[in-house]
Amino acid sequence: MSDKNKGLNRAREIYLDSSRRARELRAAGKKVIGYPCAYVPLEMLTALDLVPYRTCADMKEPVTEADRALPHSFCPVMRNCLDCALKGRNDFLDGMVAIHSCDPQEKTARIWESYTHYPYFHFIDMPITVRPEALEYFKGQLDDFRKTLEAFTGRKLSADKLETAIRSHNRQRALVRELFELTKPSPPRISGTEIMQVVKALTGLPVAEGNDLLIETIDEVKKRTGRPESKPARLLIWSSTLDDTDVMQVFEARANVVMNESCGGIRAYKGEIKLTADPLEGLADYYLNEITCARTFRQAALGETKKDYARDLQSRFGYLKGIIRDWKVSGVVLLLVRYCDPFAFEMPSLKDYLNTIGVPNTYIEYDYTAGALAPMRTRVEAFIETISQR
Amino acid sequence: MVVQKEKKTINRLKSMYPLRAKVNETYLKSIEAIQAGKPAVWGMLNFYYGDPILKAMDIEVVYPENYGAIAAAMGVARQYLERADAEGFPTHLCGYSLTTLGYASRMMKELKGQIPPEAPLGGMPKPLFLMSSAAICDARYKWFQALGRYMDVPVWPLEAPIPGIKEFFIEGYYDKMVKLGVKHLKDFVAFVEKMVGKKMDWDKLDKTANLMIEVNRVWHEVNELRKTRPCPMHSRDFWSAMPAALFLAGDLEDSLRLYQDMYREVKDRVDSHVGAIPDEKYRMVFAELPPWHSLAFFDKLADRGWNFVIESFGYHPPIPLDISKVSDPLERITKFSLQFLVGYFEDARKQNVLGGTSAYPYLKYAREWKCDGALLHPLITCRSASTHLPYVSDMLLEKLKVPSLSIEGDIVDLRLFNPEDALARAEPFEETMEHYKKLRKQAGFDW
Repeated sequence: MSDKNKGLNRAREIYLDSSRRARELRAAGKKVIGYPCAYVPLEMLTALDLVPYRTCADMKEPVTEADRALPHSFCPVMRNCLDCALKGRNDFLDGMVAIHSCDPQEKTARIWESYTHYPYFHFIDMPITVRPEALEYFKGQLDDFRKTLEAFTGRKLSADKLETAIRSHNRQRALVRELFELTKPSPPRISGTEIMQVVKALTGLPVAEGNDLLIETIDEVKKRTGRPESKPARLLIWSSTLDDTDVMQVFEARANVVMNESCGGIRAYKGEIKLTADPLEGLADYYLNEITCARTFRQAALGETKKDYARDLQSRFGYLKGIIRDWKVSGVVLLLVRYCDPFAFEMPSLKDYLNTIGVPNTYIEYDYTAGALAPMRTRVEAFIETISQR
Repeated sequence: MVVQKEKKTINRLKSMYPLRAKVNETYLKSIEAIQAGKPAVWGMLNFYYGDPILKAMDIEVVYPENYGAIAAAMGVARQYLERADAEGFPTHLCGYSLTTLGYASRMMKELKGQIPPEAPLGGMPKPLFLMSSAAICDARYKWFQALGRYMDVPVWPLEAPIPGIKEFFIEGYYDKMVKLGVKHLKDFVAFVEKMVGKKMDWDKLDKTANLMIEVNRVWHEVNELRKTRPCPMHSRDFWSAMPAALFLAGDLEDSLRLYQDMYREVKDRVDSHVGAIPDEKYRMVFAELPPWHSLAFFDKLADRGWNFVIESFGYHPPIPLDISKVSDPLERITKFSLQFLVGYFEDARKQNVLGGTSAYPYLKYAREWKCDGALLHPLITCRSASTHLPYVSDMLLEKLKVPSLSIEGDIVDLRLFNPEDALARAEPFEETMEHYKKLRKQAGFDW
């Protein structure tokens, strides 16, 4: 029998009460810093012994308070995040750091800062291209982030401490990749729902505790005899955010979700930060270049004077081909959270790419509310039926 | 039967007409030149960053954002929207972007590169390249990237830093923004040179940059005169006159002369106490893009004594900054462009209004232009122009006791704006404005 305080059970408990551990740590004297997005370089928080805590949205919580600050036709995830903050759910935070990964986050951050009163608040600007001057600017942004963190904590962020933190977070990235390796067999050894619980739990824990949880979980899954039932389809879900098990279970009722390519899944863990002489250089490069979110403008060659659509698609979506092959994906779901412009603009082009490489795919849109699950279920069932007959 | 022309209540500026005519004439000449084979670029409103470079290189630019508004007003946008929908673009995307995507699909897939015959004002020909911008919203660079489905033309996405108000004051922050801008523009010039096969004339760029800055300085001074009571110039004149300064539409030397004429006319009105409407009862700030298709609506409000004395921050010139000593034109352009955004920051920090680079200017406007109310116009498919409006409304009331009336519309879907309904809401809102005028007096405000 598995230990209730370990591995998958522990991940599930933290998933259900994601701020519990952060609150405990704060009661024990640690400082907790919130962040809403996978682009925030957590290594810099860890290096200063700050506890990073992801201020996730809660799909089950109807938005009421955020109405006074944001319009309805706006990213429902950020609206929901702000709503939770305005309802006091994050009042234990000592500070908050937001980043210009997308327009809704940039705009919500301003309002968040204005309506809440954390002792610390910092906004990191982020360029849209991966050009050398953009990378240099972003590194400068991280350096300014360092300055405000040092002023807040009264401690120096040394290169040594930062390098140690980078190693710990790289270890976490490697362990998450190892966890996803367990979905390669058929049937997978771990479900998409279980993985989501683990990944979300990581965002509420200090990195060392998160790494322990991953080690326990991987060990438990490898040893356990039971595994998820084999379903008629193996899905990859591509989305901005997929972090709620109710949504995942709509898919897993009929299919095995073997890859969650969103910031609630593998997206923030696919790569590794290079250890550079100036650690900020490695951090800037990783966060700007390596995270495969639609917010970044990618092209086949920087400053290209000729355009070739096939090469363009390859530069934007080519990373998916290896995943589809290695995980034996039989269908891809393009899951769009309504009003998410960076992902919405990608939909026809990503479909073009997937059609080119011959993978069945479908586009489903929802508004990040529980009410959207019933129609989503119908769409998913139709898609699974279609690909099962191939 | 003699048809009597309806008398308009708004007293339009005479100097606006030649300026507008010059802009229109330049646009038509530009379309003729493009149709005769001169290369054209599709550009995104970029807040002075890329335009002077293209202007100095004598490149014709068409702006799909403007074209989206034209297509909507002339009733042809619907078919492009439907086509974009059929191509798989979600319907909640920016209406201008969907219009352009549908248009590009029709032109390239259906008509093999020919301009659609139904396209108004000569249409937009296939461009040599696309110049997008990261300023203001995600749509404005993702949309041009998405056009790659239809057109094998390269895209240059212009970077546009958006700092936090507090963070901007970290030592060295501004210099890093300038460094990014200068290097980025240098590479952009090299890109443009490759695309058009000729070298930049740096003296011409220098002159173009100076003219752009001077045109905008005079335009800023015109708008400063509007602080006078009664306000001598209505928002309708602002919207008619803005393209020459914002998009650098037309010849810049002509524009400078015409804006100077406008300054003189507005100053004369100030000196002789002539307002833009006969009886100014309520001084209004208008927020975001106006309903282009229903501008006559403002005449009805003028009948009620509503004078629109200031409007959308996003289309106003930067607060003047002395950059005459900056010798590198790229650095001058960068600093001028950055000023559009950061020119308000010092004041915003002092007032402790941190909630948005787009939000603070409305507080400054309401305070300095002494507004009685704000008419907010949230747009269903333009999130960048709508997101900050609830916050603006909240701040105006909390900090200045200035109430807001929010009337929803859209940039392409004309059905969403109902002028009759809006007018019906005007009367009760006047009572609200009267109430808050008393509260402002009690709180010690001077208007």
